[in-house]
Amino acid sequence: MKEVVAIIQMKKMEETKNALDTVGFPAFTAYKAQGRGKQRGLEIVYPSDLEELREGSVKFLPKRMISVVVEDEFVPAVVAVITRVNRTGNIGDGRIFVSPIEESVRIRTGERGSEAVS
Amino acid sequence: MGRCSMKMIRAIVRPEKVDRVADALEEAGFVALTKLDVFGRGKQKGIRVGEMVYDSLSKTMLMIVVDDDRLQEAVRVIEESARTGNIGDGKIFVTPVEEAHTIRTGARGL
Repeated sequence: MKEVVAIIQMKKMEETKNALDTVGFPAFTAYKAQGRGKQRGLEIVYPSDLEELREGSVKFLPKRMISVVVEDEFVPAVVAVITRVNRTGNIGDGRIFVSPIEESVRIRTGERGSEAVS
Repeated sequence: MGRCSMKMIRAIVRPEKVDRVADALEEAGFVALTKLDVFGRGKQKGIRVGEMVYDSLSKTMLMIVVDDDRLQEAVRVIEESARTGNIGDGKIFVTPVEEAHTIRTGARGL
């Protein structure tokens, strides 16, 4: 099993959910997160005479983080769907990380491993 | 691309230390990071103030992904900037990351 963690734009959440659902991955966990990439957030120039306001910048931007746990063979599909929906070509589209998951348990039934994520 | 060439660092730190940690990371060259507001407790089972028992305390989770060879440096930076020496400074967990994709370009890697 693998965990696909995607950090995406807030406004793309609904679209991403629908797209994942359509291709058969309805289950996911979402988090509200704040983050920045290598562009160091946003620089905003305030029209102000005050020194501290002029240096103003948005260090962290609001993001959504979603985590989808799937069998190994579905990873490329999930990555492709998330990429397709979220790509606008602008900075801030987000990142996807894939990590191994050693065990999963469906609490209701006690099922383990691949049965728990299917 | 080799397997497991990156690591995800999840650090649960004091919310008031986040800016300091973020600045220290930026100085060390780790600019990109994601932070989440979380609640949790350690082995002290929360905190007791007189009659009041706080079962879980608010913390901030910092999530950064780094290349393997810079892992120790990143962990050290977080450790040093988040430390107060008191209970509740937090924990750092490291997990393997096999792939990273930039959505904008579709490029692999960090």
